[in-house]
Amino acid sequence: MSDEPTDPQTDGGTASKPTSEEPTEFEEHPLEWDEPENNNKAPGERDSVSQPAEKFDDRKLVTGQAKYTADYEERFPDLAHAAVVRSEVPHGRVTAIDTDEAAAMDGVHAVLTPSSDAVPDAKYTSAGQSYPEPSPWDMNVLNEHVRYVGDPVAAVAAEDADTAAEAVDAIDVEYEEYDHVVDPEAAFDEDAPQLFGEDEVENEIVGHDYDRNRMSNIEGEIGDVDGSLDRDDVHVHETEWETIRQSHAQVEKHTSLAYTDEDDRQVLITSTQVPNHTRRQLAHLFDIPIRDIRVKKPRVGGGFGGKQAMVVEPIPLALSLAADRPVIYEASRDEEFYAMRSRHPMQVRARTAVTDDGRIEAIDLYALSNTGAYGSHGMTVAGNVGSKPMPLYSKVPNARFEADIVHTNTPQTGAMRGYGAPQGTLALEGHLDEVARDLDLDPIEFRQDHYMEVGDLDEIAGMMGGEGAERRIRSCGLDECVERGKEAIGWDDLEQPDEDHLHRGIGMALSAQGTGVAGDELGAAQIMMNEDGSFHLQVGGVDIGTGADTAFIQIAAEVLGCDENDIIVKSSDTDNTPFDYGAYASSTTYISGMAVKKAAEDAKERILDWASRMLDESVENLETRDGEVVSEESGDSVTLEDIGYESVYGHDDREHILGKGTHSTEESPPPFAAQFVDVTVDEETGEFEVNELVVAVDCGVAINPGMAEGQVEGANHMSYEMAVSEGVTVDERGRAEVSDFDEYGLPSATETPPIESILVETHEPTGPFGAKSVAEVPTNTVPPALSNAIREAVGVRINEMPVTAEKIKAALDGN
Amino acid sequence: MEIKLTINDESKTVEVEPDDDLATVLRQNGYTGVKCGCDSGVCGASKVFVDDEVKMACGVDAPNADGSEIRTIEALGTQDDLHPIQEAFVDHFAVQCGFCIPGMIIEAESLLADTPDPSEAEVREAIDDNLCRCTGYQKPVEAILDAADRMRGEQSVAADGGSQIRPDQADCTDHDGDTNE
Repeated sequence: MSDEPTDPQTDGGTASKPTSEEPTEFEEHPLEWDEPENNNKAPGERDSVSQPAEKFDDRKLVTGQAKYTADYEERFPDLAHAAVVRSEVPHGRVTAIDTDEAAAMDGVHAVLTPSSDAVPDAKYTSAGQSYPEPSPWDMNVLNEHVRYVGDPVAAVAAEDADTAAEAVDAIDVEYEEYDHVVDPEAAFDEDAPQLFGEDEVENEIVGHDYDRNRMSNIEGEIGDVDGSLDRDDVHVHETEWETIRQSHAQVEKHTSLAYTDEDDRQVLITSTQVPNHTRRQLAHLFDIPIRDIRVKKPRVGGGFGGKQAMVVEPIPLALSLAADRPVIYEASRDEEFYAMRSRHPMQVRARTAVTDDGRIEAIDLYALSNTGAYGSHGMTVAGNVGSKPMPLYSKVPNARFEADIVHTNTPQTGAMRGYGAPQGTLALEGHLDEVARDLDLDPIEFRQDHYMEVGDLDEIAGMMGGEGAERRIRSCGLDECVERGKEAIGWDDLEQPDEDHLHRGIGMALSAQGTGVAGDELGAAQIMMNEDGSFHLQVGGVDIGTGADTAFIQIAAEVLGCDENDIIVKSSDTDNTPFDYGAYASSTTYISGMAVKKAAEDAKERILDWASRMLDESVENLETRDGEVVSEESGDSVTLEDIGYESVYGHDDREHILGKGTHSTEESPPPFAAQFVDVTVDEETGEFEVNELVVAVDCGVAINPGMAEGQVEGANHMSYEMAVSEGVTVDERGRAEVSDFDEYGLPSATETPPIESILVETHEPTGPFGAKSVAEVPTNTVPPALSNAIREAVGVRINEMPVTAEKIKAALDGN
Repeated sequence: MEIKLTINDESKTVEVEPDDDLATVLRQNGYTGVKCGCDSGVCGASKVFVDDEVKMACGVDAPNADGSEIRTIEALGTQDDLHPIQEAFVDHFAVQCGFCIPGMIIEAESLLADTPDPSEAEVREAIDDNLCRCTGYQKPVEAILDAADRMRGEQSVAADGGSQIRPDQADCTDHDGDTNE
């Protein structure tokens, strides 16, 4: 942990917290949002939104007919299969690569090394972020300077996967090995082996100090934290927390298929969350015009942030160019664990200054983040350790966050669902529980005295910089989340087990997230009407298994007054769908969904114009409903099909009814979660059993409640894993010690406690039909709530994840 | 080498390499509902019936399957006429990315054939080696319990009802008119 003093930022960060009466703040962030009337529909008025519309791809999925990337194989008779030679040393330089034997093998079509013509020389980041990426360009597609066991060194394409694997085995690589470092604190030492030399990084990130393996340092403050900590009338508490290196463990492995199409353009069918960012990054790497690359996303078998990265795409593209034939690369499960991406393991220190009567005067968080060998998402994930959880307590006048992001010779990290918020939430929610106990305060009331409510100006979200990142809170269902969660878990009437050595306790934790990246999102959509009154909806938004395509259909159907079956969605194909930043930061329903809504409204305007002429009624009297345009005045109606034919084949006038919408915003309203964990602990052995997880979430208006519950339960399962599983451990050479699912602690059906999800509806005026995000916030909360539950049950605190029987026993024994 | 398989009631002679696994062979022959999530027979995505026994196809050596009768997800319901288990998965929103679902449904079919009225614990035990990253198992377990009711002929009401959205549009890249597709 760093004990360095932190200097408050000078860009306004030192200003004391203004009161909400200041008119300038309200001008910039008005409480009253200029919301169109049709955006706020009472539950009874909604025809498609909030209804349990069938997930549109479900029938294909349950019958095995849906096509994922690997399922396109059969369409390419001359397809070659890729395999990758990966570094066997944690740190070093490749001195020789002997590819002769591999290149001479029957069925081998291409062998690439760092010096091959088809392999780009350019530096890049695999982080699939907007441009310019807030991640350093510190990688090469194939590397001579290798920085972890798993760094790609060479690649082959062969007629089948077995031949490709044999060719990889036949390639002989010699290394000059350098000293390496695995522990992040040791890496931060001035004498530590240095991963990056001068000139090895472009697009460097704020606060970098590669002499100390630091890729970034960030800090932000509002008010005067040190002044608060020094006050005589406060209790200063300090706690430390540690999180695991979690694997995304999506069941579909990273898979990417590259080919040159009949128009000599480069096409990738790929399991990505970020088609447009991938296209741009490939263009940069390969020096191909953006227009000549096409990225298509078929069904994706889970992403969770692991595919918000251009992890594999450059390899099949380079091989395809070299072999002059289509190439597919499907990572092995082993590679998924040691050579793809993982959640940044962190150590987080929490400090607070709290008065005798329980007022929190200051919150101070510091994170040491281990970004592994490369810096993708290193700075931004660390920033969210502070900027997501801390705003929850918007009544606290002084707040500070600092992070050091440090390289080690360990597997690469990246974006993962929650994006720093799980690490920060563990520290903050565990810490507040400890403070409440120490001061003999009710842990829920203690939080309620400080947490957000509608009307607050959240400055903490903006304290890390970023123009306009502070936000007005216009929807907040925290109180109801807490109340319903308490009731569901039985907070007030917990029964203790009969056996004396068993103790039961309930722990709780709260969380806030964002909805998209404030001021750094774009979604777009267009709608075309067919003669039969149906619609083609083309949208850049990316459904990676979340159900986003279905939500888009529901939003469009709500506007157009048609059946969901009359909307055909086509998404995520950079040639044929409008631009989108991609599926990350809980943005898809809110950003891309709003673009869909705007496109539908645009089309509706034209529909009503045609209906007005066909019915000889004024537009003001007309509304779309049940596949018709109806006059509220006369009761006359005309079907969408009649309008479809008339608009295209009309005698006097003709028009193709098209609608377009594009959406970007400075807003990022927080969704909220209240987590409850019921645990029974055996004080003799430390063994524990989680009886139930209850999580209540305010996601605004759920566009599809069944799908939203699924998001909440899946996120809570992922969060539970963070609390009880080891994650991907590494050995003394930084090599992942996990190579398959049977070695990775993904909780199975019998190992997962029952999860009760509760949706608390609020109305977020900035979101489509009142929606805000849902998929990340329940990822953050089980580790602190379980730690708090164990503390409640047997009085010991586990602050280093995962919670294990051994740690509980050791703590009970006073060790 | 050639082996004979009966796949979904159809007799086939298929060409295999000696070290091919059954999942690869089935996928190469068009049964792409068989998924591969690991490489070693642990995640459950490749489950099929081999002579009426559920096996992870990626853990079966193809030559050893010579003469076997194989049943894959493709032999259950169709999109227009779902099997009750598939129907329950749809109605309960038990599917997210869907990658693990064919294997889970195969296992559920086996369970319900032997145990028509399973407890929740029995359902969880049955799908214990079907790894799912998306759902937390909550809704799949509910779906299988409801499917059991449906298959026993007891009136079952889907948790949330649900209306069908066009089944023929899930494959976005089918619409682009590429000549190679």
